[in-house]
Amino acid sequence: MGTLLLDGVSKRYGEATAVARVDLDIRQGELVALLGPSGCGKTTTLRMVAGFIEPTAGRVVIGGRDVTRLPPHSRDTGMVFQSYALFPHMSVADNVGFGLEMRKVGRAERDRRIAEALRLVRLDALSDRLPRQLSGGQQQRVALARALVVSPAVFLLDEPLSNLDAKLRAEVGLEIRDLQKRLGLTTLMVTHDQDEALAMADRLVVMEHGRVLQVGSAEDLYERPANTFVAGFVGRCNLLAGTREGTDVFRLASGAAVPCAPDATARGGMLAIRPERIEVAPDPAGAGRLKALTYLGARTEYHLELAGEAIVAVTPTPLPDDPRRRLAAGDPVRITWVPDAARVIPLDSAESPAR
Amino acid sequence: MFALILPAVLVVAALLVGPMVLLARISLNQYSATQLMIEATTAQNYLNAVADPYYRGVMATTLVMAFTCTAVTLALGFPAAYRLARMESRWKSLVTVLTLIPLLVGNVVRAAGWLGLLGNDGLINATLRGLRITSEPLQLIYTPGAVAVGTIAVVLPYMILTLSSVIESIPRAVEEAAANLGASALTVFRRVVWPLALPGTVAGCVLVFILCMNTYATAVLLGGSQFKMMAPAVYDQFSKGMNWPFGAALAFILLAATLVLTVLGTALLGRRYAR
Repeated sequence: MGTLLLDGVSKRYGEATAVARVDLDIRQGELVALLGPSGCGKTTTLRMVAGFIEPTAGRVVIGGRDVTRLPPHSRDTGMVFQSYALFPHMSVADNVGFGLEMRKVGRAERDRRIAEALRLVRLDALSDRLPRQLSGGQQQRVALARALVVSPAVFLLDEPLSNLDAKLRAEVGLEIRDLQKRLGLTTLMVTHDQDEALAMADRLVVMEHGRVLQVGSAEDLYERPANTFVAGFVGRCNLLAGTREGTDVFRLASGAAVPCAPDATARGGMLAIRPERIEVAPDPAGAGRLKALTYLGARTEYHLELAGEAIVAVTPTPLPDDPRRRLAAGDPVRITWVPDAARVIPLDSAESPAR
Repeated sequence: MFALILPAVLVVAALLVGPMVLLARISLNQYSATQLMIEATTAQNYLNAVADPYYRGVMATTLVMAFTCTAVTLALGFPAAYRLARMESRWKSLVTVLTLIPLLVGNVVRAAGWLGLLGNDGLINATLRGLRITSEPLQLIYTPGAVAVGTIAVVLPYMILTLSSVIESIPRAVEEAAANLGASALTVFRRVVWPLALPGTVAGCVLVFILCMNTYATAVLLGGSQFKMMAPAVYDQFSKGMNWPFGAALAFILLAATLVLTVLGTALLGRRYAR
């Protein structure tokens, strides 16, 4: 049981900075996800917690103990590797029992805890198998059981779902989350998949270029992104350049004026609107034009143009008698949103363009 | 598929199997001081070789030398191979090439170099005398130790390259997982790296053992006239003694010993860790 504190943790390789002053405080039983594109420093951060990489500066504190200079085997973390990293020459039971053996747990007690951990991941019937005789999903559960069985102070998950097929991913994600909650495991997880992070984590840490851009709940990040990178990385987002005029009018670069939320403090920047907040209606006098539409069953995507800007709108597919069902590429449309749906985000010059 | 391996099969058949069959036949012939070789079918040459204390001694020397050199080469080669396998920098290919460079120097040339180093007027003795540490030259050359050192220097690259390719196939994450679960570096080696590298270690040891059993140039040049191993003994019979039947019998005894020990070692070690 434990807490995890990162205090100004940095890693430099010569001139290059992989991780720049990351501060993070994870409470007992909390699941925090490091989210970002590849090369953002999230994996380096996780490996510094595990002790595989030594920080250039800063402290790693687990359960109140400064472990910054301790080797991996003295840190009391339980890591699930992206590749699972099972011991190929040991049975499932021996894999799970390895950490207990290292902790000098007696034979009888060890067997009991191995059985319990395997029951927890529903693999009790396969304890004599070798890893290569298991499916990918089963191997992953062995890796989970192996890390759980030692009751580590901090549980570390490195892209835990990335090697599973899409169907299994959501299911296993929920299963891990359920286990983590039930056992009250303090967990740090790394992922590049925003859906995974949103579904599993109590708090998310969005990273880019080794820096933390925003820390918050899924709702914070999605509805109140601190910058355009977060807006573009967590969920899809229309980002329109321009300047705010008055309290609730935003002047686009092309000169057109559109409504925006009055609460924003920034003047210049990007107007961020989630695609599902945009309404589209057929209107011969409308200012917008439909360039293309994609029917996705439950949803329909509209690729629009408004005052020279490309905008994407997503709605639940309208009913068959809805006039929107008769829209075709090239049609003029009316594009609207409630002012609260459009937030002005200050432009950070250091940021790379959001996608 | 068969067409692809046919040329290689033909070469092996012509250059290896053919001569071996011929040699086997010769080993069953009789030696005569006047006619050199008389056609016969007798096991007398083998019986003579096994009964002769001198050749029993040569065989013992060869076995002790081969086992010792293989063990020392493994002990020296494993850490180096591990380091090479786990190298991530751009120096890796350079180090690999550096490991191979000793193979560019032939055994005879290398042994000649050792003469200059270990001889009575060689670099080591000259230095020791120059520093007045010794007055008489130390007997470094023409000793079993010199042969062992020379042989190990020859076979070490083979061991390192064989081992490093096997260690490279062990994912780093597996070692990290063991460390993460509380295993010290030594335990990670004992419980993860060693058992997973074992098939490659056996292969490397077999390769090196065979090379050591058949040491010729190093044994002759660094061992001197009092030191005799099997391969030079075989050569002596063919060139100096002109006793081809006996030489052929010695050659087959060497071959059989190497083969039996290799197969036995592979089977024993393979079974011990097989699951």
